[in-house]
Amino acid sequence: MINMKTGFTIIFLIVFSGFIAAQNKIEIGKKAPEIIMTKADGTSFSLSTLKGKLVLIDFWATWCAPCVEEQPQLKAMYETYSEQVKNNQFEILGVSLDKNKESWQKAIDRFNINWIQISDLKFWKSPVAKLYEVDELPFNVIIDVEGTILAKNLHGKELEEFIKKSLKQN
Amino acid sequence: MDPALLASRIEKHKTKDLVIISVGPEAIIKGSVDIGPTHEPENLEKLKNYLKDIPKNREIVIYCGCCPFVKCPNIRPAFALLMEMGFKNAKLLNLPKNIKTDWLDKDYPTND
Repeated sequence: MINMKTGFTIIFLIVFSGFIAAQNKIEIGKKAPEIIMTKADGTSFSLSTLKGKLVLIDFWATWCAPCVEEQPQLKAMYETYSEQVKNNQFEILGVSLDKNKESWQKAIDRFNINWIQISDLKFWKSPVAKLYEVDELPFNVIIDVEGTILAKNLHGKELEEFIKKSLKQN
Repeated sequence: MDPALLASRIEKHKTKDLVIISVGPEAIIKGSVDIGPTHEPENLEKLKNYLKDIPKNREIVIYCGCCPFVKCPNIRPAFALLMEMGFKNAKLLNLPKNIKTDWLDKDYPTND
């Protein structure tokens, strides 16, 4: 027979593990939360409008050196899959944690970024950073046509391979 | 310098002789001066101008917090400048991961 202390410990562990699981929303297989933010031209944009496409959500900022280094790779990928972009199968959504509009715009121009760029210019205080459990940059999430999370935080070759594989399946 | 120590000094108002300088994306820390990312030459020049009237024995703490130290492009040029200008009591705030995890998430005092 389980004594009372062990019983309480088991109950505590069950409740506690449930609590931890409930904390993580950005996991593979879960729905990506909605993001509504402003584009550089001032118009509003919602992630849900990309339903039906494979989407790479790239969290970055111009003050984050490794993020900036990654932009040419994203640019190359966007060009490689320009047909899929045209056919509404693939999109990149850049979510910037910048706080300075000018720096953000400058980087968009410098790297000739032609995929969707949004920001609330709130730096780490952006509610989206919290919603997506972003702890450090760069960070990304890949979602499928239904908005379900397929992968997170893939970079370099791994990212390229994953996008290639996922677009083939579509 | 350890963030917990700096936070406690700010909370106890023991920062009269201390200059806290942000050389990164934003001057998050309460009472800190916003120089801007010092990997940009114009901001490094701004830091040089700011420092020129400060006594060389004054305690100075610089921080960036954009990313882990190994990847940070701002800390090294700023610290090298402090050394070059002869500051004897210059310190680096130890933010191993970033300003979010090592300061904001700990509810340490901020500028707003």
